[in-house]
Amino acid sequence: MQQAVEAIADPRRREILRLVRARELTAGAIASHFADVSRPAISQHLRVLREAGLLSERREGTRRLYRARPEGLGGVREFVAQLWDERLDALRIEAEREERKRENDRGRDN
Amino acid sequence: MTEAVTTEPIVREVRIEARPETVFEFFTDPAKLTRWLCAAATVDPRPGGVCHQTHEAEGGPYHMRGEFVEVAPPTRVVFTWGFTNPDASVAPGASTVEVTLEPDGAGTLLRLVHRDLPEAAIESHTGGWTRLLAELAEVAR
Repeated sequence: MQQAVEAIADPRRREILRLVRARELTAGAIASHFADVSRPAISQHLRVLREAGLLSERREGTRRLYRARPEGLGGVREFVAQLWDERLDALRIEAEREERKRENDRGRDN
Repeated sequence: MTEAVTTEPIVREVRIEARPETVFEFFTDPAKLTRWLCAAATVDPRPGGVCHQTHEAEGGPYHMRGEFVEVAPPTRVVFTWGFTNPDASVAPGASTVEVTLEPDGAGTLLRLVHRDLPEAAIESHTGGWTRLLAELAEVAR
């Protein structure tokens, strides 16, 4: 349990999560952001974040790509609630557009 | 080790200036689903029929594999919801989305209830992830 708290306590690990929140990066690309941190130290940070459930790893051939797990610390429910807020807003716009189109079509047929 | 505690349902209501018949199709027509919810969809809109969606994300698509439970146009549609991706926290069939459409003047009052979502990410080498979130929530209050 302490592991996850410690995972985000380290500022470098918080920075890593920020880097990969919206895009995937390889370990090398992540390391290149930190002039003062060795590659093995970066690998260690990545391992800590993965074990805390904050980072996911995907393999593509020989490459390993990392990104922040979308749920992060907020949990699945919060993530899904936000997803529905955004999607339902899009639904409202599209359904209203469709309704107006149908009204226009009905008007033309008269 | 797997821990799963289900949370309170997510409930959302939205008023849409469109008739229920118009809105309902956005849940059962693949060409309409892709206009607001997902990048691709395969659906068989009847109880037991497939409800498959592809959601785009950084690093690759998420594959939603669900099944319709109820299809009652233009009032109610219910489907299961979960992903086959190994890093997803909700497995296919694990949670359920209920959508109800109520006429409201010339428009629709849509109510969405998403049940049985797990509390937290599931696979954890340490376990205790659920307890951690609860403790953090206490600290944040």
